Amino acid sequence: MAEQTIDPQPEPAAEAGPAAGLAMPPERRRAAQAHAAQLSDTAAKVAAELPLSADVDDFRRILTAAARP
Amino acid sequence: MMELEQLSARALAAAIRGKKVSSLEATRAAIGRLAAAHELTNCTLSLDAEEALAAAKACDAAIAAGKPAGPLAGVPLAHKDMFDRTGKIASWGARIRAEAPATQDATVIARYKAAGALQIAALHLTEFAFGPTGHNYVLGHARNPWDPTRITGGSSAGTAAAVAYGAIPAGLGSDTGGSLRLPAAACGVCSIKPTWGRVSRAGAMPLAPALDTIGIIARHMEDLALMLGLLAGADPRDPAAGTLPVPDYLARLDDPIRGARLGIDAAVVGSAHPDVQGMLQRVTKILEKQGLVTAACRFPDWQTLDHLVQLTQMPDCSAAHAAYLRSRPNDYGPQVRARLELGHFIGAVDHLTALRARGSYLRRTLEQTFKDIDIAILPIFADPVPTIAELDIGGGPTLQAAMARVVKYTRPINYLGLPTLALPVPRAGGLPNGIQLVGRPYAEAQLLAVGRAYQREVPPEVARPLA
Repeated sequence: MAEQTIDPQPEPAAEAGPAAGLAMPPERRRAAQAHAAQLSDTAAKVAAELPLSADVDDFRRILTAAARP
Repeated sequence: MMELEQLSARALAAAIRGKKVSSLEATRAAIGRLAAAHELTNCTLSLDAEEALAAAKACDAAIAAGKPAGPLAGVPLAHKDMFDRTGKIASWGARIRAEAPATQDATVIARYKAAGALQIAALHLTEFAFGPTGHNYVLGHARNPWDPTRITGGSSAGTAAAVAYGAIPAGLGSDTGGSLRLPAAACGVCSIKPTWGRVSRAGAMPLAPALDTIGIIARHMEDLALMLGLLAGADPRDPAAGTLPVPDYLARLDDPIRGARLGIDAAVVGSAHPDVQGMLQRVTKILEKQGLVTAACRFPDWQTLDHLVQLTQMPDCSAAHAAYLRSRPNDYGPQVRARLELGHFIGAVDHLTALRARGSYLRRTLEQTFKDIDIAILPIFADPVPTIAELDIGGGPTLQAAMARVVKYTRPINYLGLPTLALPVPRAGGLPNGIQLVGRPYAEAQLLAVGRAYQREVPPEVARPLA
């Protein structure tokens, strides 16, 4: 009876994207993914309340406009 | 005999100008004290003794010849080793360094030099200024001058240790998530983290440019005021450096503070260790005695702010190191390596959401948190200052949670970009700790005036190991 072979499965998602190629042990990779997912949940909640017009330069404009030297 | 270690930089400069002490004597003495501080705390990464002594002699000669002397003429200082100096390679606290010596001084170094200051050494920092405790797995951990088994806080560990010990009156640091405030608190000294953009970052090692802020650690409030006045202001080399006029912080140190409203967010403060809450109450009472009026305030959801600052910071840091993290991963210490890896898992959309939301959260903070207050008071550490061993966790599974606890009260403020003054709490014979006063944008003068009043009750101390 021929021995059944199983193709090694790549770790989903971890092999693609900016983190691909980083020499990380699997447990640290999983921990980083979990942490990033938690932050991503917050980003999604924040994004839902953010107007389309929100701009990365708003911060500097408000900081300067609110100056009380 | 003048107690040089007790003097502020301003007082020392006046003594040198008045020929009560020479710059050469002051510099020799500072180099000697720094050697002792280093033995205790591991605060120094490289010494510039010969260069500094030559500059001190030149300063004394210029004063003797009646030439004009700057506000820091002949004063020996030392700074976190992350600033460009012509002809030198900064260590960045790391194995990976710039490939060629700097061809120009960092703007802050150039401005200090123009004021007459000397630099006697480059000081310890957490690897790449990316860590809040003073652990450095590449160049050795920094040790607290009050108790060498305890952390100094980081990343501006060497500056805080050397200033606390009295080796130097003041020095430069940087703050991306608490790196001026945490070491100031752990070592029992003061720091000013100016409004984001108030001080040029040109020639400073970038960590996360959206958050990086250069500031000062000192024992005396008048030094924070004098030095911030010298450093602040527009710089063509740093487009983010604000163009607003720079107040005369020194002249405004004695501005009236009576009636200024001090806000306390009980919900945010409530998750600190009971000892830390007690310290905060003691400081609040001192400030009330100086005429401040306390009121309740409420920050935006603290955990959301903490997540937003991580979404801002982590990819920013990781992007700068992406190539080296692949080509030379083993040249990083375990803690910094693990933290730099994390940023690679944060998506561009989430990163940009945090940046786009930053203005909205700042506006909300100003309109709601600061609606009825002028200054907010917060802890710096959530807990009493930990031991080096307690946080010697390398890149292990508890790293993110442990670091999050250390920067719990500091990191969110970087997201808001607000100016923050760190003050030591009254020690009562015990270990130091600190609190932070958070002001409105560009309100550094008000914070320093409050700090000045506070130091009338809690004067600066020089650190020596507790028995």
